[in-house]
Amino acid sequence: MQKILLQFLYSVVIRNFLKVFVGVRMADARFLLKEKQFIIVANHNSHLDTLTLLASLPRKIILQVKPVAAQDHFGKTRFKEKLTRYFINALLIQRKRDKENIKNDPIYKMVDALDKGFSLIIFPEGTRGEPEVQQPIKPGIGYVLSQRPGVKYVPAFMKGMGKAMPKNDSLIVPYNSSLVYGDPAAVQSNDVMAIVKEVENALNQLRDKSS
Amino acid sequence: MENIIRLDLFEKTDLLIAIGLIFGILIFATILFFVVGLLKPKANLHELKTRTKSWWIMASLFIGTTMFNSTISYFAIGMLSFIAFRELYSILGFRESDRRAIFWAFLAIPIQYYLAYIGWYGAYIIFIPIVMFLFVPLRLVLKGDTVGIVKSMSLLQWVLMLTVFGISHMAYLLSLPEIPGFANGGRGLLLFLVFLTEINDVMQFTWGKLLGKHKIIPKVSPNKTWEGFIGGLISTTCIGYFLGFLTPLSATQVLFVSFMIALSGFVGDIVMSSIKRDIGVKDTGTSIPGHGGVLDRIDSLSYTAPVFFHLVYYMAY
Repeated sequence: MQKILLQFLYSVVIRNFLKVFVGVRMADARFLLKEKQFIIVANHNSHLDTLTLLASLPRKIILQVKPVAAQDHFGKTRFKEKLTRYFINALLIQRKRDKENIKNDPIYKMVDALDKGFSLIIFPEGTRGEPEVQQPIKPGIGYVLSQRPGVKYVPAFMKGMGKAMPKNDSLIVPYNSSLVYGDPAAVQSNDVMAIVKEVENALNQLRDKSS
Repeated sequence: MENIIRLDLFEKTDLLIAIGLIFGILIFATILFFVVGLLKPKANLHELKTRTKSWWIMASLFIGTTMFNSTISYFAIGMLSFIAFRELYSILGFRESDRRAIFWAFLAIPIQYYLAYIGWYGAYIIFIPIVMFLFVPLRLVLKGDTVGIVKSMSLLQWVLMLTVFGISHMAYLLSLPEIPGFANGGRGLLLFLVFLTEINDVMQFTWGKLLGKHKIIPKVSPNKTWEGFIGGLISTTCIGYFLGFLTPLSATQVLFVSFMIALSGFVGDIVMSSIKRDIGVKDTGTSIPGHGGVLDRIDSLSYTAPVFFHLVYYMAY
């Protein structure tokens, strides 16, 4: 039931809402069908980001891709948590590491989801921040990729989302914005900080190319 | 069924002739570029072919949405305004604190088209120039961010005028009262306006490519030449004369109106060029292959529509 509902919701309702009403130009994401498993690494400016990424995916794989979201924000109440898990199909993690209770550790949770066969969407900036400003990326993505170097990462860059719906504002005002994907790539090293640098470079290159 | 598809189109010979003409030109252009491509494989026809393909889609969409059902026509032209408004304001760099006012400006689009739909001329003609003109600054002031507020006030009103007020004249043509003895009605006038505006763009482009030597306004648009401008003016006026059967105007009036469409189409074109030059973009968007954004295509219409409407309104109604 969830599968049919979400496929319809994202590939028909939200996709057309974003394209026709908000004015998002979405890159073709069918190339992702060729990858068995991947981590989409995207910049983050707006609540629309997750919806846009999910709506851009080919219908078949929407349910295999879990956006990683902050427990403290989306899990504030039981109700909000249930909604996020059901409608966004999200993987909720806490932002701080937890060495004592390994099952609760964010890195463990992400690696575990990968082992179960899911692909992930990660916003490595950690939070949405100022509209259209990119923040330094957090090392979590480096830990995950260094533990599972076989999984490719796919950079994604969105422009204008923070103008259509910025942080601290729930009103959507249509704005011509866009989503572009970079090529899937495997990590070059297994050092955490080197991977973080690599991902950051890929994101910056994509940003420079799309503007 | 009669409400959804107005089959009376097939009884209006004049409209059918004009529609046939449009598709005739498109078929001719498609065959021409195909044959030239075969004879001269080296000629760079890619852009012309992409453009022609887009023309096919635009012409079909326009005729499909405006000729069969009057309610859908208002909605379709309203969508055109919506997309053009979004495209233009997005490249102009508004402040974050302008978002609420911009939202209200978006709401003005359905209201303006509803007023055109019910044919309430008095309200329709003052809604944006007066009501929105007074309301938008108020909404900006209530937000309280005064740094750069003058720019936002003037820009927002100007974008509304150009993309909503101007374009909505196309819709009001359909609401004009019937004139005894003139069977084509608003659809004839709309077809005349759009056909002539677009043929004027094409003619200016073609004459400019064939003969263009003397630049007319090089600082704004290096491709515009006197030869293209005058060639377009003459051809458009002639073509308009032969399409006069779509309008209720006399022969002299048709010549004058066609001339004014050619002139104002040119003005709309260079006004949009100068805006793009100021902002530093080549096209306002990428939604129509070979043409740029929607706004790049309807830049002339935002000028010709009000000019044509008020001339006809004065002369015939």
